[in-house]
Amino acid sequence: MATQQVTLGSRLDTALEARGISRRSFLKYCAGVAAMIGLSEAAAPQVAQALDNVIGETEGNLKPVIWMEGASCSGCSESFVQTDAPDVATCVLELLSVNYNELLSAASGYSLEEARKETMAAGNYILVYEGAVVKGWEGNALRVAGEKGTDSLLEAAYNAEAVIALGSCACDGGWQAARPNPANAEGVQKFLDDNGITTPVINIPCCPANPEWFTAVVVEYLLLGQLPELNSKNEPKLMFNETIHDNCPRRGHFENGEFVYQFGSEEEKKGYCLYAVGCKGPQTFTNCPIVKWNRRSSWCVEAGAPCQGCGVVTPNKPTRNWVDENTPFLKRHRYFQIGDWKSSPAGWAGVITGVVVAALAIHACGMKATKRTQGGADFETVRVYDVKHDNKQAEEYGETANKLYGELDAKGLEDRKIKDPKKQQNG
Amino acid sequence: MHLAHYREAHPLPFVITHWVNAVCMFVLILTGFYIHYPLFGGIMGICRGLHVCCGIIITINCIVRVILAFVVKSAPTGGTRSVVRDYKTWLPQKNNRHQFLQWIRYYLFMRKTHPLGAKLGVPQKISYLLIAPLLLFMAWTGFALWIPTSTWGISQFLINAWGVMTLRVVHYFMMFVFIIFMCIHLYLANIEGVAPTKLMFFRTEAPGLVYDPAKRNVVGFDGLGKEESYGEAQSKIDLDKAGVKC
Repeated sequence: MATQQVTLGSRLDTALEARGISRRSFLKYCAGVAAMIGLSEAAAPQVAQALDNVIGETEGNLKPVIWMEGASCSGCSESFVQTDAPDVATCVLELLSVNYNELLSAASGYSLEEARKETMAAGNYILVYEGAVVKGWEGNALRVAGEKGTDSLLEAAYNAEAVIALGSCACDGGWQAARPNPANAEGVQKFLDDNGITTPVINIPCCPANPEWFTAVVVEYLLLGQLPELNSKNEPKLMFNETIHDNCPRRGHFENGEFVYQFGSEEEKKGYCLYAVGCKGPQTFTNCPIVKWNRRSSWCVEAGAPCQGCGVVTPNKPTRNWVDENTPFLKRHRYFQIGDWKSSPAGWAGVITGVVVAALAIHACGMKATKRTQGGADFETVRVYDVKHDNKQAEEYGETANKLYGELDAKGLEDRKIKDPKKQQNG
Repeated sequence: MHLAHYREAHPLPFVITHWVNAVCMFVLILTGFYIHYPLFGGIMGICRGLHVCCGIIITINCIVRVILAFVVKSAPTGGTRSVVRDYKTWLPQKNNRHQFLQWIRYYLFMRKTHPLGAKLGVPQKISYLLIAPLLLFMAWTGFALWIPTSTWGISQFLINAWGVMTLRVVHYFMMFVFIIFMCIHLYLANIEGVAPTKLMFFRTEAPGLVYDPAKRNVVGFDGLGKEESYGEAQSKIDLDKAGVKC
């Protein structure tokens, strides 16, 4: 069994033991990670081995990581560090060599910038970028150590093996790019594309990003030496290929048509489906219901909140960030908006339909008044076009038809409504 | 006055496709409303199933109908059993497109007499013509939203261009286009009497004036045995072969 290959007494084991994590729960975790990167759960020992290889190495050989923050709330970092007790994920992440992190690094100022420069010069590192890229004010908004934020990103991304855009802001601008976007914010992928940098970008969306996704991507990279298979949005395919709706624990209520229509209602107490109060689960491709949050304890819908669709990202279109796309969060549709003019779509669709129906009703009164409802109006004897083009042949046929109408009227076969011969032709 | 209602105006294949269209649209609109906002519980699974099922049927039906328009022959106007390729009765022809303004004038009560000829008035032709592409576009947005087909390249194209939320808004609003179309369609088809509806759905013929497509005018009255006939009888020729432009 491959399990035995994991050397006892390695640095990882010591670290796990120190944090009170049993070998059993560690392997269970590894199985989960294996599943997320598309391996069978039987691959858990290999995952453990990979983690052990990397983490168990002497400090000098840890995979270097530069973790930069753009326009972020540091929520994604918080999501990693704010666990009430150290867990496997934090253990793994702590033991990566995070050489530069504006939030967590003990060093600061010159020495920290120096660490970043050294890491960049040495190469062979992963860049993690959290928050949106701010292009406004000529990139001066995120000036650190005398360097423009946009320049630092380009410099760090150029040499990196891969860039992990962590959180929806880093993917497509997220909150920062929300209308009217005065900061001219956008995601890392678009910014690098526009500046001709070809380093692969992996987008890990959500607000904040789930640490387990990040761990899974890192593990796959370390284990298989390759980046995960990505979908058209550069998200790891296996984590973002099913909707929240597909795996939602409240799905049964949806199928049964049991919905919450109002918060504070009896239906809400019963834990019914939140679709009618604006849940964006059906259009959000993340595996939140499976992986959950806060070490698999719960997640939005389980906690009673409709999904807001924070995982809906469009890397190349900052104007379609999830905030603009999904607000109002507690309604089924977003507002229809042209410029600053906003309107409720359902309202005016109804109004237009109503106007059409009313117009038809008025028209029907006109039809009744002109007696067209009884078999239609009289036919023109000659077409206007033929009269205009002086078509003698047509006029001749028209004369015959005119005579015929008179005879039919006399016989009572077909009523002629216009009795005045002068008006019978057309007009 | 009205032209005689002959079955040749709506051959059996089109009666069938019309039935399918009518039933599917009705079901799609009802279930669509329910899916958009489930006002009462209990039938979501049924509604979604029906919605997708009718969506697939109406899409296939629409494609079949368009193909049939180039295969099946139908009468270009009421009052005759003479036929042309069906698509010609839909596309405004050189012979009648100049009547567009006259039709509008007629509908707006700006003229007292009914413009002569054609099964479909020019505004009708345009709106019916639009329905096919609108329907296919509706299907495109619908299938882009349905998870099993959302991964298709054609769906991904739309999702990448607009985003899923916009797609949902567009799909929902297009429904109102169809509702408005149905209101106007039902109104115009029935306001001058229910004979056209009886013919379209149940193939019931009705007496009326006889129209000669070659002369482009009314030439007689066909009582269909129920009433006395008068003047010339209706013709029954292939107008395409005879070289008559309609």
